[in-house]
Amino acid sequence: MEVITIKGRPTYKGVAKGEALVCPDSIAGNTGGLGDLDGVIHEKGNILEGMSIKDKILVIPCGKGSNGFSAHFKSSKFMGICLAGWVVTKIDSRLGAAIASLEVPAVSDFDDIDPMTIIETGDFVTIDGDTGIVEIAKKK
Amino acid sequence: MVKLSSYEEKMLKGEFGEFKQKALEFIVKYAEVLGAEELCEINRATLFIGAQHYLDCFNDEDYDEIFSKFYLNSNKTIPIGKFSPTCISQTCGAACDYFEYERTHLSKEFHEKNNKFLNITREAGVSIVDSCTPYYVGWIPLSGEHYVTTESSNVLMSNSVFGAYGNSDGIEAAVCSAICGRTPLWGNHIKENRYGDCIFQIECSIDTTFDWDILGYTVGRLLPHHGKPILVGNLKKPNVNKLRQCFSSLAVTSAAEICHIVGLTPEAQTIEMALGGKTPKAEIKITQKDYDESYHMICDNGSGEVDYISLGCPHLALDELKEIALYLKDKKIKEGLELLIWTDYATKEMSNVNGYTRLIENSGAYVLTGSCPLVMREESHKHARGMLFNSAKQAHNLKAQTSVKVFYGDMYKCMDAAMSGVWEV
Repeated sequence: MEVITIKGRPTYKGVAKGEALVCPDSIAGNTGGLGDLDGVIHEKGNILEGMSIKDKILVIPCGKGSNGFSAHFKSSKFMGICLAGWVVTKIDSRLGAAIASLEVPAVSDFDDIDPMTIIETGDFVTIDGDTGIVEIAKKK
Repeated sequence: MVKLSSYEEKMLKGEFGEFKQKALEFIVKYAEVLGAEELCEINRATLFIGAQHYLDCFNDEDYDEIFSKFYLNSNKTIPIGKFSPTCISQTCGAACDYFEYERTHLSKEFHEKNNKFLNITREAGVSIVDSCTPYYVGWIPLSGEHYVTTESSNVLMSNSVFGAYGNSDGIEAAVCSAICGRTPLWGNHIKENRYGDCIFQIECSIDTTFDWDILGYTVGRLLPHHGKPILVGNLKKPNVNKLRQCFSSLAVTSAAEICHIVGLTPEAQTIEMALGGKTPKAEIKITQKDYDESYHMICDNGSGEVDYISLGCPHLALDELKEIALYLKDKKIKEGLELLIWTDYATKEMSNVNGYTRLIENSGAYVLTGSCPLVMREESHKHARGMLFNSAKQAHNLKAQTSVKVFYGDMYKCMDAAMSGVWEV
């Protein structure tokens, strides 16, 4: 199996592994965009509509929509539905608040390469939030 | 490693109590995630709190416990103490009108729970204002003033128009900032990061509030990730209501936190000033085709019955309530149809004094305060058979909460449909 390694800024400590869920258009932070109680993406028109974030490595370019972005991830965490880790092209305030609030491993700020162009939904991804190393085992 | 002042060190050690200590702990953690090197003092905050639906994950009503777990990231319950005395804090839009619940189909129990939570934070220092347009009632951070707000359109308004300094931090971070009086000195809190880098040449005619709403949605969907838009071109000089509408929809389709408008906003008197001497990363034209595409993305196709119409996302200004009152004067909306008009309490009181509320409510419509269908969620609108909004933000996001048709049109078309009960293409 092909394994690709990329490196970003260590953003939140810890190691996480899981299947990638790649969100090219981010997720609307507005009430209802991500289900507070089910952790499912309900934003109409989002290519991931109907998908759950549970145990996934969320690969995301930026935040979007309401400043309530972080709260919906947090609420679903209290319901036992939480993503495993974050891979973020470039940190912004919406995502920064969500990462600090969820307290799961995160790597962000990839200077040379955009993880969005390398990682596909379904790839198996391991992230190290202490070193910034991200390993991608391609699904094919 | 975040460098702290001696005052902040003392707070972090708990010298000013556990409530402030936990809040600052979160802000320091947030600063580390961002890569910020130090913190800055904030003087203003608006907070999306109360019995918001993101708290539906909690079964009980122990607000100290909920507050500790959700906002302070603390499993230990810490009694709610006082918010920062040097930060003017008030509530953002609420999950329920403070006075009404029957007209919006919410339960007495939920209404009481929301008021209970808001009254607790009022005692702690957060005034109940329940407005997503706080600048209409005096919450105006001045140029260079650092603030936090949980309303995305207010970030754009405060940064772009007032020249104030703030980010779209999120609810937990904003609450903690309002408690400890600090936020990471990062992003839009630093002048160097505020320059625009994507020029939008507007080629279609943009004049009405509705045009500005569609413009914001369009700029947002075409804005490259992390881009900071600069608008130039065929823009008739807007007023604050039009900018409010543009910023609300821009923050739906993008993560924009500042939007320069050449010749209008203070950091963009010229394109060169807006760019800060740098070369733009992108130059994008907005044409009538882009405008039309956005409209069809927001509004469902075809004609249809509507029985639930809401105006006022974000909350309306007094002059708009006057326009609505004069249009609805001596008219009646269709029986059984709901026409909801949203503003804040202070503006409604002025509307009462001027007789606008009476004219509006004589038509069968309601003037409501402090909330909107989106944040009240499904319980308030699940009975609707067809919906209509004058706001791209409301129409775009309500589609995630309903399976019925969601239409979108300007304020006058919405009022006409309220009388006929039909949305006609």
